[in-house]
Amino acid sequence: MKSLRRDVSSNPQAANVTSKVFVRSTKSGKVQKIVRELYLRQDIPCSSKLCSLCPSIAPADANGNIAPFVLSDRPAGTKAFPRGHYLVPDTNALLNGMDLFEHTGAFYDVIILQTVLEELRNQSLPLYNRLLSLIKTDEKRFYLFFNEFRLETHVRRGPEESINDRNDRAVRIVASWYSEHLKASSQKSKKEKSIPAIVVITDDKDSLRKAKEENVSALSLSDYVSGLEDSAKLLDMISEAREARDAKGSVRGQMFYPEYYSMSKIQTGLRAANLHQGVYNVSPYNYLEGSVNVPAFDKPLLILGRDNSNRAIAGDIVVIEVLPQDQWKSPSTKIVDEEAVTRNDNPDTEETEAVVTDRERKALQEEVKKAHGKHSEGKPQPTAKVVGVIKRNWRQYVGHVDSGSTGSQVASGRRQQTVFVLPMDKKVPKIRVRTRQAADLLGHRILVTIDAWDRDSRYPSGHFIRSLGELETKGAETEALLLEYDVQYKPFPKSVLDCLPSEGHDWKVPVSKEDKGWNGRRDLRDLLICSIDPPGCQDIDDALHARLLPNGNFEVGVHIADVSHFVKPHNPMDLEASVRGSTVYLVDKRIDMLPHLLGTDLCSLKPYVERYAFSVLWEVTPNAEIVSSDFTKSVIRSREAFSYEQAQLRIDDASQKDELTESMRNLLKFSKILRQKRYDAGALNLASPEVRIEADADEVGDPLADVKTKASLATNSLVEEFMLLANITVASKIFQSFSQTALLRRHATPPPQNFEDLINQLSKKRNMELDVSSSGALASSLDKCVDPKNPFFNTLVRILATRCMTSAEYFCAGAHAESEFRHYGLASPIYTHFTSPIRRYADLLVHRQLASAIGYEGEDGHAGLEGVATRSKLDDICRNINYRHRNAQFAGRASIEYYVGQALKARGEKMAAGGTDQGVDEEGYVMRVFENGAVVFVPRFGIEGVVRLEDFVLPGEAGAWSVTQRRELAPHRTTDFDPEEYTLRVEEKGHPEKERGVFVELFQKVKVNVSSVKEEGRGAGKRRVRVLITGSSDE
Amino acid sequence: MSSQRQASSAAQIPHLSPAELSYLYTSLSLPNSPIRPDGRSPTQFRPLSAETNILPGTNGSARIGFADGTQAIVGVKAEVEKTVLVSDTLDVQHEAQGTGNGEGGEGSSSAVTGGHGSWVQMSIEIPGFRDDDALPVFLSEMMRESLVGSVGVKDKSGEENMAGGLKGRLVINKRWHWRLYIDVLLLSQPLSYPLPLLSLTTHLALLSTKLPKLKSKGEEDPFFDDDWAVAEYIYPRVLGVSNTLQVRPPVTLLVISVGENVIFDPTREEIAVADAVLAISVTRDNEAGSLQPLKLLSIRTIDPPSRLTQPGIPNSENVNMLGAPAPNENVAVLNPATGEEEVPGVWRPRRGGVKRSVIAGMVKTVLKKGGVGEEVLAGLEGVEVS
Repeated sequence: MKSLRRDVSSNPQAANVTSKVFVRSTKSGKVQKIVRELYLRQDIPCSSKLCSLCPSIAPADANGNIAPFVLSDRPAGTKAFPRGHYLVPDTNALLNGMDLFEHTGAFYDVIILQTVLEELRNQSLPLYNRLLSLIKTDEKRFYLFFNEFRLETHVRRGPEESINDRNDRAVRIVASWYSEHLKASSQKSKKEKSIPAIVVITDDKDSLRKAKEENVSALSLSDYVSGLEDSAKLLDMISEAREARDAKGSVRGQMFYPEYYSMSKIQTGLRAANLHQGVYNVSPYNYLEGSVNVPAFDKPLLILGRDNSNRAIAGDIVVIEVLPQDQWKSPSTKIVDEEAVTRNDNPDTEETEAVVTDRERKALQEEVKKAHGKHSEGKPQPTAKVVGVIKRNWRQYVGHVDSGSTGSQVASGRRQQTVFVLPMDKKVPKIRVRTRQAADLLGHRILVTIDAWDRDSRYPSGHFIRSLGELETKGAETEALLLEYDVQYKPFPKSVLDCLPSEGHDWKVPVSKEDKGWNGRRDLRDLLICSIDPPGCQDIDDALHARLLPNGNFEVGVHIADVSHFVKPHNPMDLEASVRGSTVYLVDKRIDMLPHLLGTDLCSLKPYVERYAFSVLWEVTPNAEIVSSDFTKSVIRSREAFSYEQAQLRIDDASQKDELTESMRNLLKFSKILRQKRYDAGALNLASPEVRIEADADEVGDPLADVKTKASLATNSLVEEFMLLANITVASKIFQSFSQTALLRRHATPPPQNFEDLINQLSKKRNMELDVSSSGALASSLDKCVDPKNPFFNTLVRILATRCMTSAEYFCAGAHAESEFRHYGLASPIYTHFTSPIRRYADLLVHRQLASAIGYEGEDGHAGLEGVATRSKLDDICRNINYRHRNAQFAGRASIEYYVGQALKARGEKMAAGGTDQGVDEEGYVMRVFENGAVVFVPRFGIEGVVRLEDFVLPGEAGAWSVTQRRELAPHRTTDFDPEEYTLRVEEKGHPEKERGVFVELFQKVKVNVSSVKEEGRGAGKRRVRVLITGSSDE
Repeated sequence: MSSQRQASSAAQIPHLSPAELSYLYTSLSLPNSPIRPDGRSPTQFRPLSAETNILPGTNGSARIGFADGTQAIVGVKAEVEKTVLVSDTLDVQHEAQGTGNGEGGEGSSSAVTGGHGSWVQMSIEIPGFRDDDALPVFLSEMMRESLVGSVGVKDKSGEENMAGGLKGRLVINKRWHWRLYIDVLLLSQPLSYPLPLLSLTTHLALLSTKLPKLKSKGEEDPFFDDDWAVAEYIYPRVLGVSNTLQVRPPVTLLVISVGENVIFDPTREEIAVADAVLAISVTRDNEAGSLQPLKLLSIRTIDPPSRLTQPGIPNSENVNMLGAPAPNENVAVLNPATGEEEVPGVWRPRRGGVKRSVIAGMVKTVLKKGGVGEEVLAGLEGVEVS
């Protein structure tokens, strides 16, 4: 039998058609063979300005322009390559040295291969995104070369060639093609130009060897960097992960951590519900205790100790396995601080390390003891261990070098040494960083990143990125805060500013009503509208009016800045705003979501000028029953911009009889009715520990005078009520029109078990009951939690109750059933954000949806709903704005906390001039009691302080205030802790007399002394706010 | 009615006169040295062209073209599927399935090696036929049956290769298996009975079929290597003695008998005069490394179309010839193969029935060492499977 085979190679077209074959496993378990055809081309330019061939062949766009060439005709040279060079990094080089490539001092003219980019995307999405933004910027001259599509540089995978080898070969082939191509083009142009060297950067030894054979110049990343100026600094920025990889082959000490399960084992386990997946959280009081909330159980599972947390870092998505019941434990009743426990670790010695040091073991043992308690809080709870990590959520961390870890080598100059970096975020373990600049970095805020955490290393290893400046300088601390909360704080790029109206500050509402700007807008300029905001507010989002209608009813209007008029969907400004998500308010700084021009001028509903607005108008009866509501784009002219106090004064001033004041009085009257209705419906009055800082302090006065608790005036709630009403009205309108895509905000009903602890504590200590069956029941039972002797007690309970709840979130209507839309805190069946489009992106989207819902067609008659109409896109946006919203809040709080600390410090310094720093005596309330300390809330500054053992001032104790002195007290003290009664007695060892001890219990009002202290004894240290309990103030 | 007939009979009957049929029959039935119209020897196949992996999107594919212009394409697709178990008595159930299915995983009937015959699905498309017509259904069942019936082998080390045959190969673990979809497409009109063409093409396609490489172990949910280059052949490339593949998908050959003669790869005309048409499925079945010739999987008789032909009329019965002198040769003789009385030169439709010795001869020619079966397998192996 004969058989023939068709010969494909004779096909002349065959050379430029090839295919890529791979196996794809889908989520549903399908396994498919995927074949992609590739059509190779020869018109992909090399993009070097030196090249004379490519400009003629490069593909042109519709206007006949070719994309500008990127690579410089005069690339920088080094000692090894005096005639200049282009870099071709492979994937590992980018993985290890992305920070280097981003560095502005070196690494220009880089050719990024498509192959490398794709490989990078598979390995690390964040790095991929960073590389993409590098390619987009012009100044670094990164060129993305589509080598897989160019005939000459396309590489077919050889038989039995690993994919890595194939990709490395692709890199070398591109390098040799570039040098030949440039040579050919310079010969053709007959100009004697020096051809730059093409340098492959790779850390793969095999590839380096092959490059040598193939006559391609190749260097390892560190070899290349060593040849640059300032190499010491740059070398620090190479990732640690590489060295860890290099060492893999050699046996390096014992493995400290158990290995993760294989991916397929994890998948099987997850599907069979033997394993669970969730986000790893770390307790803020005890770094050894983590918890993971999994959908399968109501309560989070505990993860105790390093063995069980198995290299997970707060924020990672982990897979956990429940431990056998005999290993269940109760949550810790102790404050455990990583810095305190592991203070003496030496970053250089690995061999003697055990994962769980004796000290840590001891700390854990204490907890096991507690597990045998009888009380519900002491009952052992299910624990689990981490068996795999689905996704690392490592980011860049702000921290400072632990001065203790540098040892005596500090003086030894440029020698590379290993130091610990203590991240600002207490939940993140210390990071081992190798650096040559240890001496310079001491006392600086620095940015580091985690590269790897191997089984044989007790701490994660990372590398240094850059220094933000000295500790406690305003600039460094502010930047640290912004970085830590992932706030985009870079100035707006030009592309965004280009989207602003060309008239700038001179922009005006068109005079002629024929102008297209008036299309679909109602003229509300004759209404007596005013705005009420905090003093000094520049971005005025909202304004109000009320007027009597002929039928005896009232017309009430809420007018919101028409931001969507200026920010068109999908332009760079819109994209930037959607990324920023929200304006972030710090004590002394505002990070805007929209450029200044819009936020504080064109959109802002400033008084006396005409502005575009989006108005919600209601007809209400004198009893505040809503008869009808109406939405319209409008033009308004605000008559006055009040601050809360001004408005209050004007309303209270009986002599003012003008229409504007009357309208405000009406508004106030309505708002009170609305508020009462809301509470009747079961809305919660929650409290958060907020203080305000008025930063316009003069230098002379008491710095602490700026710290004020938020005062609430009737006018505050006037504005608040109408904003709530507008939001609710708009929410139902857009939900009517867009049942799937309406952007709404919900506050999920918290599961009752969240309140368990609080209910227990209240009934034990105060004999009070908390009914959490509904928000209304909770509201009324909260009202009953009053201690006549202690007016703050109610607020304290509210603060604690708020912490038991989930946070509100944006979502798009299709994501939840309608019954789940409820806003628990506001007791409203539906809610959204509409009233602050200048500072929140969600509101801007809601504006667009509402405009479309009422048939507003825009200036040009076709304002589409693009970008707001697809579920998946909206889901993405919701996820981002929820994240940004939360971070903006955290950043704001952290900023206040920092400011309070600085004010205390400034005061301390002032006092120190006249004597010793005695701190400030204040009142505090015990929020939590631990076995070795307590958490005290100080309302005056809105801060919570951890009071450690040594920070209890015992009666009759000599005033020793310095940190070192006090620290020595700790070992001499014993405690008597009753977890069921929430009490703690601290006394000196051997002195059980009642008078010589301090007794604290939950909810107790205590006298505290607040001061800002330097962490002494550890060199240039951080500051912290120290709270000393000086006595009980009940008597 | 006509399509019914078409479907059940071996092929459309060529329009040959009784005299032509008789001539053909006589020359094919010449003892020991039949003369075939195209001059082939009885065991010679017509030349064919074959290639594999012509459809990049499939797991394996092949095309074969016969010299008479008939062509077939076969594509094999594999899909991961969850093994449905009725209750928690998982092992018992499965065991029962594995052994209850008979031909399958006996011998090594642990639950894991047993597969299920329904995991191989075959569909045949023949121009002019609906997919529920008898011919495609009959053909696909005939080929599928031999596929799932084939069993695996043990190599020298006693380690099992293809334990449980194709069915066993499809088992991933207790809870997961592959499902094979074999799509056979006949590109031309079925000039002759298409079975050998389709079978050979399927054989070749299966030979080139690869499954993604499994990365997970044991009872984990399956997880596969995303590199197609490391995918593994469904019929492992284990070379046995004399460099032939140890394990092969089965091949079904069409054999006819005319008189005492056994003829392979019959043309349409040859089938029209056949006494018996057999479809013989064979596979290579090596045990313990010794190159056992071949294993017979199944024999099916196919209704020979010759019974439907018009009979010739001997002169003795011809009214027109009444009175004409009766020539000598017009004497009835006994057909050696059928034992019927026949008049030489006059076509008489076959009434079925074939001697046991002829059947035995047919099977022997296929199975014997160096026989037709081996020759065919060797020929197919020669097609470069890339």
